[in-house]
Amino acid sequence: MKLELGNFYVKDIEFGAKTAFDDGILTINKEEALEVVFKDNHITEADLRIVKPGDMVRLVPVKEAIEPRFRVGGGPVFPGVTGKLRQAGEGETRCLKDMSVLVVGKHWGGFQDGLIDMGGEGAKYTHFSSLKNVVLVADTDEEFEQREQQKKNHALRWAGMRLAEYLGEAVKDLEPEDTDTYELEPLTKRSKELDELPCVAIVMQPQSQMEEKGYNDLNYGWDTNRMLPTFMHPNEILDGAMISGSFMPCSSKWATYDFQNFPLIRRLYQEHGKTVNFVGVIMSNLNVALEQKERSAQFVAQMAKSLGVDAAIVTEEGYGNPDADYIGCLVALEDAGVKTVGVSNEATGRDGGSQPLVTLDPKADALVSTGNVSELIKLPPMDEVIGELEALARDGLSGGWEDDEILGSSVKEDGSIIMENNAMFCGDRIAGWSPKTMKEF
Amino acid sequence: MVKEIEKAGFTVVQMANLIPVAKTVGANRMVPTISIPYPLGDPSTSKEEQWELRYHRVGVALDALTTEIEEQKVFDVEI
Amino acid sequence: MKKAVVYLNQFFGQIGGEDVADHAPEIREEKVGAAMLYDQLLDAEVTHTVICGDNFMGSNTEEAVEIILDFLKDVDFDIFFAGPAFQAGRYGMACGEIGKAVKEEFDVPVISSMNIENPGVEVFKKDIYIFPGGHSAAKMRDDVKKITDFGNKILNGEKLLPAEEEGYYKRGIRHQYFLEDETPAYERAIDMLLKKINGEEFESELPIPELDLVEIAPAIEDLSETTIALVTSGGIVPVDNPDKIQSASATRWGKYDISGMDRLENRDSNNFKTIHAGYDPAAADADPNVVVPVDAMRKYEEEGRIGKLHDYFYSTVGTGTTQKEAARMGKEIAQELQDANVQAVILTST
Repeated sequence: MKLELGNFYVKDIEFGAKTAFDDGILTINKEEALEVVFKDNHITEADLRIVKPGDMVRLVPVKEAIEPRFRVGGGPVFPGVTGKLRQAGEGETRCLKDMSVLVVGKHWGGFQDGLIDMGGEGAKYTHFSSLKNVVLVADTDEEFEQREQQKKNHALRWAGMRLAEYLGEAVKDLEPEDTDTYELEPLTKRSKELDELPCVAIVMQPQSQMEEKGYNDLNYGWDTNRMLPTFMHPNEILDGAMISGSFMPCSSKWATYDFQNFPLIRRLYQEHGKTVNFVGVIMSNLNVALEQKERSAQFVAQMAKSLGVDAAIVTEEGYGNPDADYIGCLVALEDAGVKTVGVSNEATGRDGGSQPLVTLDPKADALVSTGNVSELIKLPPMDEVIGELEALARDGLSGGWEDDEILGSSVKEDGSIIMENNAMFCGDRIAGWSPKTMKEF
Repeated sequence: MVKEIEKAGFTVVQMANLIPVAKTVGANRMVPTISIPYPLGDPSTSKEEQWELRYHRVGVALDALTTEIEEQKVFDVEI
Repeated sequence: MKKAVVYLNQFFGQIGGEDVADHAPEIREEKVGAAMLYDQLLDAEVTHTVICGDNFMGSNTEEAVEIILDFLKDVDFDIFFAGPAFQAGRYGMACGEIGKAVKEEFDVPVISSMNIENPGVEVFKKDIYIFPGGHSAAKMRDDVKKITDFGNKILNGEKLLPAEEEGYYKRGIRHQYFLEDETPAYERAIDMLLKKINGEEFESELPIPELDLVEIAPAIEDLSETTIALVTSGGIVPVDNPDKIQSASATRWGKYDISGMDRLENRDSNNFKTIHAGYDPAAADADPNVVVPVDAMRKYEEEGRIGKLHDYFYSTVGTGTTQKEAARMGKEIAQELQDANVQAVILTST
């Protein structure tokens, strides 16, 4: 399977008469773009904003991030989600790089939503402050969940994907500046040189813990709660097969943008043929009952063994009881003779003194840590807030609170905030970007 | 919490679904339950079935309290 | 100028040797012995020296701590030093005991220095900062320099680096840390993986701590003579949540009377519900016995298999609760159970 991702580096974004990409400048016809957003009747209000690195702007509640793309020859960027089901990971897809579409609630936030500071000291906490962003800030008539802590955010997330597809069309007829080619030979048809290298797989555990539909990550539109671990080509993940869900404290999440760019996958591709033979991705999931967790771990280990995997990187989108899936999977692989490295965040509490993962096992002897979900973060007021600052305190964001006996509300009168890292938008960058680790203090 | 209670000298059995978590936390006597949100009775089954399961597993927990153990132990359940 | 207090034993406090090791605690509003060295090196003034004999502290710990805390309650100080204790075991334990108490009572930074062989290191490294020190007083100057350098960093509000860089013994306290070279996690993961594949040494970023197990309590001989209590971390409470237990990151627990109840009646009948935010509440609200099995326990009580179900059950919320809070609540509940003559416990978690 061969995938060509054509890169168009976005140097600046502005509003203008016609949506077009020219010499690094993405121009957006706002009215036309908003028409795309309003195609869903549930969207009641919407606006587009442009924010850039260094802008003293705070975004909250942020629900999703998506890289705008265009599938050459037509077809949905997210098969089975924004259009018909088709194979992802083959052919050519064009990408607007160094930017994303961010989806922000105009009023209502929830457990799974996060915060981004584009400038100031808060900027270091997310990847998205390093990108130019088109911000869709909107409201919906989904009144059934307005005051629910857990929100599906369906209308907003889908509007974001439509908008990303619309912007991607700007490069429909253009030649990319450069192209990343991703290709793996079929497993049984690989060269002798490749066969002699250690076989490595990536095991992904996307968030799939809600039994009700509408909250979990989707695999070609299929709810990951309703799947068993399966074997996937890494190109599929890089090319829109997976989209982010709407569950889990935000710093632990993988945005759709993260799936599209998954740095662990891209980095392992660089080693392919040099130091390793990249087998592919075992797509697992995260569960709520012990038997489900054990079943998934057993499937993963069996698949790894049958595929002849020598070593694997396991990564989980979450913390808390999902740690039992994560450690369980690492242990099952080690027991099957597969050498493992794990990538995840920790939850050591505000005081740093709590057990880092809810289950631990000495067989998990090679772990990369990307952050502490409960680290307290204080940030000064920003010049401007897009969305609604009060949502951080009012709406049950996982890292915000209305009233704490000692710390008061997360949102102060002067616009400064105090929150747990939990509410930083994809702040622990578990897909691989995290410049953070955990240290003893 | 289980550790503090045992440290104080009480014979204690932990009933939990996530046995690996209970083990890591340091529980010594453990009896598995069926899930996180409904440890002792699946609401999709009849009231009678829920009661039988609960009565049985609590019974296993009582057995656990009367069993001498040398190391951490998960007690087997039948339903 | 900021103010410091230094704790020394009878020897370094210039009272005398082993023969006066049972010297009772005293406080002097001056710099005695090693306290002068502290004063020279600190960006603070040492205003008081506390001196106590090692044997007095060792055999009358509670009394000694109480006396010293009483001395200090009217003293205004920003930082507290104890030692250095070198390899002296009793002195090390004394520095740890008083250091821990001062930290808890006054919430000021407490710093000590001990040789790695000193038993005080293992016992107290989680409670106070302890720096590795020499075997004997020959290293006095070096050891005091190390801990006053670190003390100065704290006093001056400088950014504190991880334990391995500052040099104190690791305390099991883990915080997130931005790497200076910003090496992303994907590079670290691939690097670790290649090393592990090639049999080279690598360093896990999360070394798995040893399981901290407690001594196994003996089996109950005769259940029919035993009072058993139900405890839960599943957040079952009366519908009005009278103790205002938090739905997550709980710091409170409650005890609820179940005497005379055959089972826990549910939320719809205005009795019990769950306030736990970490799981879907529908099943527990509909029938709280699925979390706190009062009905099954009553049946066993009626059958005579158990002596008695304790008149109260105890409840808190497990999700997001720090270990420290969970341990405190566990201790408090254990105390209650002791006072009520309970002999065994069934703890249900969600």
